Amino acid sequence: MNLFENIKMAIDSILSNKMRSFLTMLGIIIGISSVISIVSLGVGGQNTITGEFEKIGVSTIRITVKSAEAETSDYITYKDIEQLKEKIGYIKYAAPITYQTGIASSEKKSRTAMLYGTNEDIHYIDNVELLYGRFFNNIEFEEGRAVIVIDETAAKSFFGTSDVVGETINVGSNTSTKKAKIIGVTKSQLEMFSNMMDEEMPVIIYLPATYLDILYSRQSKISELYIMADSKDNTEAAGILAQNMLINRHGNRDRDVYKVESLMKQLEQINTIVGIFTAFIAAVAAISLLVGGVGVMNIMLVSVTERTREIGIRKAIGAKTSNIMFQFLTESVIISCIGGIIGLIFGIGGAYLLGQLAGITPSVTPQIVIISIAFSSVVGIFFGIYPARKAAKLDPIDALRYE
Amino acid sequence: MIKIENVKKVYTTGDIQLTALKGISLDIKPGEFVSIMGPSGCGKSTLMNVLGCLDKMTSGRYILNGKDISGLVDNELAEIRCREIGFVFQSFNLLPRMTILENVELPMVYAGLSKKERRERALAALNKVDLGDRIKHRPNEISGGQKQRVAIARAIVNNPSIILADEPTGNLDTKVTKEIMRIIQQLNNDGTTVVLVTHEADVAQYSKRLIRMLDGEIINDSEVTDRIIF
Repeated sequence: MNLFENIKMAIDSILSNKMRSFLTMLGIIIGISSVISIVSLGVGGQNTITGEFEKIGVSTIRITVKSAEAETSDYITYKDIEQLKEKIGYIKYAAPITYQTGIASSEKKSRTAMLYGTNEDIHYIDNVELLYGRFFNNIEFEEGRAVIVIDETAAKSFFGTSDVVGETINVGSNTSTKKAKIIGVTKSQLEMFSNMMDEEMPVIIYLPATYLDILYSRQSKISELYIMADSKDNTEAAGILAQNMLINRHGNRDRDVYKVESLMKQLEQINTIVGIFTAFIAAVAAISLLVGGVGVMNIMLVSVTERTREIGIRKAIGAKTSNIMFQFLTESVIISCIGGIIGLIFGIGGAYLLGQLAGITPSVTPQIVIISIAFSSVVGIFFGIYPARKAAKLDPIDALRYE
Repeated sequence: MIKIENVKKVYTTGDIQLTALKGISLDIKPGEFVSIMGPSGCGKSTLMNVLGCLDKMTSGRYILNGKDISGLVDNELAEIRCREIGFVFQSFNLLPRMTILENVELPMVYAGLSKKERRERALAALNKVDLGDRIKHRPNEISGGQKQRVAIARAIVNNPSIILADEPTGNLDTKVTKEIMRIIQQLNNDGTTVVLVTHEADVAQYSKRLIRMLDGEIINDSEVTDRIIF
């Protein structure tokens, strides 16, 4: 009695009850396909997030001033940034960011704008890709000139075209705006969300932090600073050195006001959260697999009862307990496996379909494929054992008499 | 060949005990053709099931081919059914989804023979019962007599030392009964030991020895004097 013989027998039996076999498989199909699509979308989502982060640069450190504990004298100054770059060898770039939500308007249109006051280093730290023109330079920063860099979405919104270098728009607070010259157009950064961007979303504008100070008539009060180390390995050290230097310069060792975060850590955290979330939903989907397994068991029990006489005949002509057991077990494993394979196909298809809607490229790894097939076999074995044992233990005489 | 000593079989259902075999001793030699007759409920089928290792006796000894098989476990009994015993049933008991050829091959699947050998031996067995031409049909496409011939082919295909036939002609008409008995007699002439259970006296006439049973006991054991020989 070999495996091939068993498989042939099982397939014959499955084919003799096509509709019933299919309905039995359906539970497994739904279970496997939902687990596969969820997991591959989850992993795909993680990859997308990692990709977005890598664009920004994972060797970046963010230093923020804890506003709750900070006094005015604790805030980072332009002089601090200059000193950090000059004194700490590990630091390659350092850029402040001061946000303001204001407005930007052309002759035709006025939109809410996220105004990012920064310096030229942000260009490298954020890995901003310029489509047209250039980024503002150090001179323009120091002099606080009215030059801005806008993103492509904003350019199209204001002028209907991407290449708008040399044009002027008005930027500023809700109460007063000033003319500023567009010197560069960047590629829209958050591509992942760009298809959700509509006219209601604020446009993104980079401008010298010094000019933002002028627009809002204020003294610079930098609470957020991005640093990029010369290499990935020096990232941590650069962060610590920068923090120490800020503490020394501001003389606030007694108060813990500077928070240092590495984007790498944030990325890990986000990926952990997405991972947990994916695992949770997959676990919920796996319950349907369990229900599918119970369906397999149910049908196998019916099949054993229906074929009691067959079992009796087989035993009378010499089938051992193990032969009968293996015969029914093979049948349930094959049903589950075929269900698993169909589920796999539907799952991958579903993942790509949903992925297209959500803007995520699903990641179907060989592991997912192997695990799902293996798991459906395990379901087949687990839920097949009881019916198979029941069949194998039938008394041959009783089974032969069964009508 | 077959030697049973003081075999008892008691069925227990709840509090009720039913003694089907009340201490039967029997000796069947190689090449014999034995009929067991008796009214329903006399225990002849039970005896047949015990001899065929389908049922376990309550007490007694069973020696088959010189080997004591009284205390064997299920799988060992299955092995004996597979290699030493061929069953022919009243209701044929063919597997409906399989072709005739597959039905005849099945005992050899459990005996672990190769596909090629199975095919050769199945065809030879089917030829022996004059059914070499319908091998691709399924049981529901052939007549009762043909079904029983397939069952006989299946019974002999593993070259068992004994064939046990439980009312093999019970579902067949007189003409077909003759055909089947001719085949069984032929097998016996070729050296196979046959034990046949029947309640028809004229079927028993084809055998060499007749055992009469009543209430779980053998009441008569004699040679068939007016034997019909083809």
